[in-house]
Order: sequence, then structure tokens, then C-alpha cells
Amino acid sequence: MTALRREFFAKPWIWSFMGAVLVFMVSLAFTGGAGAGGMAVAALSLAAFAVVVGLGQMFVISLGPGNVDLSLPANIGLASAVAMKIMGGSDAWILAGILAACAGGLAIGLANYWLIRALRIPPIIATLSMSFIVQSIDIAYGRGLQVKPPPAFADFTDWRLLGIPVFVLLVIAITVVAAIALDRTLYGRSVLAIGQNMRAAWLAGVKVERIRCFTYGLCGLLGGLNGALLAAYFRGSSVDIGNEYLLASIAVVVIGGTSVAGGRANVPGLWGAALFLVLLQIMLNTFGADASVRLVTTGLVIIAVITAAGGRRQLR
Amino acid sequence: MKSPLTLMAATLLAATLAVPAMADTSGKKIALSNGYAGNSWRQSMLQSWARIGNQAIADKVVAAADAFTTAAREAPQQAAQIQNLILQGYDAIVVNALSPDALNGAVKQACDAGIVVVAFDGLVTEPCAYKVTVDLAETYGAEQVRQMAKRLPKGGNILYIRGVAGTSIDDEITKGVLREIEKFPNMKIVSTVHGDWDQTTAQKAVTGVLPSLPQIDGIIDQGGDGYGTAEAFRSAGRPLPVIMLGNRKDELVWWKQQIKEKGDYDTWSASEAPGMGTFAFWVAQQILDGKDVPKEVPMGILYVDKETLDAQIAATPDGGVANVEYSQDDVVKAIAAVKK
Repeated sequence: MTALRREFFAKPWIWSFMGAVLVFMVSLAFTGGAGAGGMAVAALSLAAFAVVVGLGQMFVISLGPGNVDLSLPANIGLASAVAMKIMGGSDAWILAGILAACAGGLAIGLANYWLIRALRIPPIIATLSMSFIVQSIDIAYGRGLQVKPPPAFADFTDWRLLGIPVFVLLVIAITVVAAIALDRTLYGRSVLAIGQNMRAAWLAGVKVERIRCFTYGLCGLLGGLNGALLAAYFRGSSVDIGNEYLLASIAVVVIGGTSVAGGRANVPGLWGAALFLVLLQIMLNTFGADASVRLVTTGLVIIAVITAAGGRRQLR
Repeated sequence: MKSPLTLMAATLLAATLAVPAMADTSGKKIALSNGYAGNSWRQSMLQSWARIGNQAIADKVVAAADAFTTAAREAPQQAAQIQNLILQGYDAIVVNALSPDALNGAVKQACDAGIVVVAFDGLVTEPCAYKVTVDLAETYGAEQVRQMAKRLPKGGNILYIRGVAGTSIDDEITKGVLREIEKFPNMKIVSTVHGDWDQTTAQKAVTGVLPSLPQIDGIIDQGGDGYGTAEAFRSAGRPLPVIMLGNRKDELVWWKQQIKEKGDYDTWSASEAPGMGTFAFWVAQQILDGKDVPKEVPMGILYVDKETLDAQIAATPDGGVANVEYSQDDVVKAIAAVKK
């Protein structure tokens, strides 16, 4: 029994879920239990977007110290514009629009890798420079305009199955595939091996550069997909639509129990962390807290959760 | 003896006399210093500037009206940009500042070099600069409450959606809203969230807080967030309140659609027009012309109501915001009004 309990608390992702549940309970206590269902659906929907980019960021961060993709916000903004412009409000072009957004994201990811590999620029600088380039392209291409999604694509974000939005279920399915890929496939094991020790992985026969290239490409692709989804959910593309996901993509990875130093990743934790962060915002909005109180509380609570999770991990 | 030549000369002389203001600034160069171009408002602002500026050059009112936008949204870059503009020999610099005080050093340098500085939208605190001011507390914040009271005679629950926390614009509008709503005891603000003038952020915030709220009868906001708020109500399956709008094309089209579907939907829309850059342009021109211009020139905001709705939808590009470009005459009148 104690062994079981120890194993339970040793799961690095458990803390983010506990944080999410706690924050949810506090909000409900405040409203007297009103709006529980609505709040849960809202939280799931908003968390799903952070999970999609968090997945890509998680694989990149797991590649080891210094690996991070800072071009995601610009990538998402451009993808939202590309998707909406190609769809042009027509249902027949939905699939083409999504594919174009993903392809654009993939191209950005591969370009990131090219900067890192061919020009030997550190990932932080390479992806940050890339984000400036991509944002400029977006401003020139989208001209800051909000283009609306076609009706069927917009309606799709409202579809529910057993009360849960269908796109949320799709994102859950993607995370399950990613979890399996991480734990059970050569690719996933290679990412973690590179993250633990790149040279050792290379000596052991891991195709290091191919895996890194694939990982940056994957992260870019997920960013592109997220851009298309966001434009549908928020009924329009915009340059700023991805801004929040610079910090959010990294925060869900770290709070979710993935090691910032690389080599250890955690997929379920992404959901826990994303729900936790979204519910925290909902709670503070429900309280009607002042903006300054809101930011301080957000910071303190994130520190508390990371300390709780990190402290446990050291005990192991 | 009236030869055709003297007649022509007389006509020419009369034409020149009729427009004395134009001769004085025809050699002057005006620059626009801008720090951001990533949203529809700023895009419209730049387009309006270019249109009015090019027309003014064609009419020989000024020699140049160039717009400069920094690569990143950072105040130090804009300060460096202003320093460059000083070296390039512009006679006036019109600034939409990224920061109220971080540009003060550069603005002071410009003033000391004898350059006229006019700030609009994003103002600077440096006293040597002229300012185009908008009384947001009164013309936008308080006015929204009065417009809401007209539409909710029995009062009701209000959700207030604020802008970016810590900005002077948000503070000003909020001051006006809170001051005015005290006069209507039957209207109650039941919740306040920050929508950051952005439909995505507003939709997120409202989606999150809505399940815990009682029936909402009206939304007071700061513009740019009306459409996202409407979407949040729709996807939560809640009855639609009276939502104040902010002149964005999507908001105006949405309004029109509500009128079509429901027979009527009574609300009110207002915003600072992106064309306020052209207002600042003419203020700069008037100063260069040697006119006596007060340090602060107040400007009104652009209202859209049901009568002007169709015309504004037609004139506003997709994804843009309703706009009005100001003429030299508008500014001359505004300056005269201050002096009274």
C-alpha cells in the first residue's frame, strides 16, 4: 500500500493534475457549484490548444539542454492566416487549408533545423530569428486582417460527443499516439537518448541529426495545425493569435514533469499542466481579481507546483 | 487694356492668394514614427497616412510625408528610429509611441534640434511634444454606459471587458465607465475580465468566466473584443446580451447579421479611427505653417449607429476597422475650438 502510494506520487505528472483539480474545486466553491459542466468544457477546449503545441515543444526540449522552439507563436499566426486564406470561406477547401497550414509549419520547423545545423546557430537564437522572419511574412501576407473560417470548419469546433468537444477528443487521440511514440518506438527512444547524452547516443548508433531534423519539423507541423484549429475556434485568423503560446508551450512542458535538461519527457503531464494553467485563469477571472493580483498569483502557484513536483523527484 | 497675359497673371495671383497656407509649408518634410504594424488598426493607420500624405505632396502642401515602422515592437528601437529621423533632417515628426516615457529622451533631442513633434494614440509625457488627445473617459467609457442605459431602461447585469492591464487607455476608459455607472443604480457590473482589445483573448476570458455568471444583460467593453464575446456566448448556448462594439468590420458585419436574423438588434459602436494619424499630420502641418497651436489638440472618436452601419461596412476592408481620414479643415476647426 505504501509502495503503491509512493509510486503514485512519484509520477511526475500527478502534481499538475492535482493542481488542476484543486483550482477547479476552489472555483466551484466560490460559485457555489454553479457552472461546473460549462467550466470543465471551457477548460478542456482552451487546454487542447496548449497541448498541441506543448507536444511539439516537449519533443524539442527533450533533445537536450538548449533545445527549444521560440518560433511557435509566429508560426501559429502565419498558419492561421494561410489556412483561412486558402479555405477562403469555402467548405470544399477545408482539408487543403489544414494541409497547407501544416506544410507551412513543417517548412518553418525544417528551416529552424537548417539554421541550427548548417549555420551552427544556438536553437534559442535560430528559432527567435526565424520568428521575426515568419512574423514579417505574416504581416505582409495577412496584412493584419482577420479572415473568417468556412462555416463547416467553424461548426466543427462546436461538435460534441458525450458533452465533450470533438476536437478535444481528437487532440487526446493525438496525445495518446505521441505517448506511444515516445515510449515504444525507435524514434521516441532515440529522442530521449539524444537528450540524455548526444555523444553516447551517436556512438550507440542513433541517427542523431536525422532525429533532430524530424523533431524540429514535427514541432513546426504541430504549430501549423494549431494555427488552423485556433482560427476555426476563434472564428478568424490574426497575427497575434499565437502570442500566448510562446510561454504556454514551454510552461505546460515543464509543469507537466518533462525535464528541462532533456532526456526525460512526459505526455500525460501536458494535459494536467494545460488544464491547470487554464483553470487557474478561469478561477482568477471568476474571483474578479485585480490584474496585478492575477499575475502575482499565477506566478506563485506555478512556482508552488513545480517545487512540489521537483522536490518529489529528487527523493526518488 | 487687358491682354490675355495679364488676365492669366491675375488669375494665377488670385489662385495663389486663395491658398496662402500652402506656400509656407511646401518645402517641409514630415515623418511618421511608428513601432508596430501587426494589426488591422495599424495597417489602416499606415494606409490613411500614405493616402493623405501623398495627396498633400501632390498638392504641394508638404515636400515629404514618409512613414517609418520599427522591426520589433520595442521602445528602444523606436527611440533610435527617432534619432535617425532627426539626422535625416525632417521638419516634423509625428509619433505613435510604444511607451509613454521611454521615448522622452529622443523626443527632447528632436525638440532641441528645432523639430516639431506631435504624438497621437500612443502619447509621450515629454512636455515639448504636441499631443492629439482623446477624452476616452468621457467620449468612450461614460458614453458607453449612457448608451447601455438607453437600451436597458430596466437595468440589469453588466459584464465589463477591460483592455490591457496597466495601460493608460484601459485606466481612462475604466475611470469613465465606473464614474458614469454610479448614476444608474439599476445597472450592476457583476464581473470584470481582461480581453486585451483582442477578440481571441476576450473569447477565452469570457468562455472561462461565463459558466459561473448569472444572466448577463449587457456587455461594456473597450472595442475589438465584441465579436469574440458574442462567440463565447453563442458557444456556451447563452442568450445574447446587448454587446457594445468597437467598429471592427467583423463586429459590424455581425451586428448587421443579428438585425437580419432577429429583426432588430440595438447596440452602439465606437472607436478611435486609425485615421487619427492624419489628424496628427495636419496638426504638424499647421505648426510648421506658423499657426498658433495649443499643446493639446482634442479629437473626437468615430461612432457607428444603425443609420451609418451599411455605409461603414461597405467602406471598411475585410478584417479592418471603420475609418475616417481627417482634412486640414477638420484640424483647423479643432484648433479654433480649443482657443474659444
